[in-house]
Amino acid sequence: MADVEVNWPWQYSFPPFFTLQPHPETRSKQVSAWKTLILEYCKKAKIYTLDVREASQWPLFNNAAINRKLDSSVIISILSELAKNGNAAALDKGRNRWDIYWHTLEEWASIIYSYISDSGLQNTVLTFYEISNGADTESQEFAGMPIEVLIKVLRLLENDQKCELILSNDMQGVKFF
Amino acid sequence: MRRGVGLGAIQKHKLEQAKYTNIGNEIQENQIEQMTKQLEVFRVHLEDFATKHKNEIKKNGEFRRQFQDMCATIGVDPLSSGKGFWSVLGIGDYYYELAIQIVEVCLATNTKNGGLISLDELRSKLIKARGQSRLHQEISKDDLLRAAQKLKIFGSGFSVVSVGNGQYMVHSVPGELSMDHGAILQLLSTKNQSFISVKSLCSQLSWKEDRAKQALEQMLDQGLSWVDLQDDDAVYYFPSLFTIASSTDE
Repeated sequence: MADVEVNWPWQYSFPPFFTLQPHPETRSKQVSAWKTLILEYCKKAKIYTLDVREASQWPLFNNAAINRKLDSSVIISILSELAKNGNAAALDKGRNRWDIYWHTLEEWASIIYSYISDSGLQNTVLTFYEISNGADTESQEFAGMPIEVLIKVLRLLENDQKCELILSNDMQGVKFF
Repeated sequence: MRRGVGLGAIQKHKLEQAKYTNIGNEIQENQIEQMTKQLEVFRVHLEDFATKHKNEIKKNGEFRRQFQDMCATIGVDPLSSGKGFWSVLGIGDYYYELAIQIVEVCLATNTKNGGLISLDELRSKLIKARGQSRLHQEISKDDLLRAAQKLKIFGSGFSVVSVGNGQYMVHSVPGELSMDHGAILQLLSTKNQSFISVKSLCSQLSWKEDRAKQALEQMLDQGLSWVDLQDDDAVYYFPSLFTIASSTDE
């Protein structure tokens, strides 16, 4: 995991932040601070998916300076909270692997679609790779988005009849309308 | 001489008594009149003084404190007088305004500190919030205390706790802080420390374990502290004191 430049909030240096709080009100403040921090961290580091078993070792959940770490079970419960707002989704039954959406899928859909219309790319066929890794989209926020996530976003647009996915053996792409 | 024992003697005695009382009352009335006059003169002077030095009073914290003391000695409270002369002066307004800003800062920092804030932090936040334009109006801790104390009228939701060494904390959520809670805050604030365990509390204040545990748990239940379970013992942290210790960000 490369070092990520994060403006750590004061809580990050506050040891009990890494222990799930028993008092309901305090806990809700704590969880909401964690939610914000996780999304910000993933956004800065361009993390779209994570595995809790590995992520629990990241600096995000592990402040070596004060020797505190967030327990995996707590991480999972916070990710589940994020999922309620569409900011995360569990990928397996064990809830170890997660998609993280620092933009919800709906937000991504509108970001990508605005890019397409601004660039006049309607009625053109683009490969998934061109969208997420192409030279033209390098400066876009969605650059580097994994294909699996991209497909989920495009499915939403497809539901709105704004594009059509082409998933044949020799071509993995999308045509926007 | 033999004291009179007859009816006449008793009556005479009564009459004398009455005369004495009358004279006494007269003297008292005179004195009161005198004093009232003096006070009235003093008041007029004080008002003159206040009008003349209005700006000084608003701007200079030390000056303001002395003026307040002077007013207190003669029973004038420029803070509570919204009508008449004192309202023209606007000193009460100054403190009302300050009180409102105190409430604002307390609300704004509530998520972080659970409704407990040191007067020092409150002051620096408040000065920041008031911004550049008012920089010349320095606010002293004394002003803050006066203003914060005014907020007591809102009931138990607002109180100022002395934590020793001239340090104060403002408590802005309903719920009383007991003597024990105060003692814990005082201990930590004196040591400039934001956390404590049951064991260490017991040894430092010679409390029984039950007492220490109960006090710490109550503060946890009021959202004033957080518990850390990643050490040998549970350690209770106070975010309101945490800032003082590390003076981080925001």
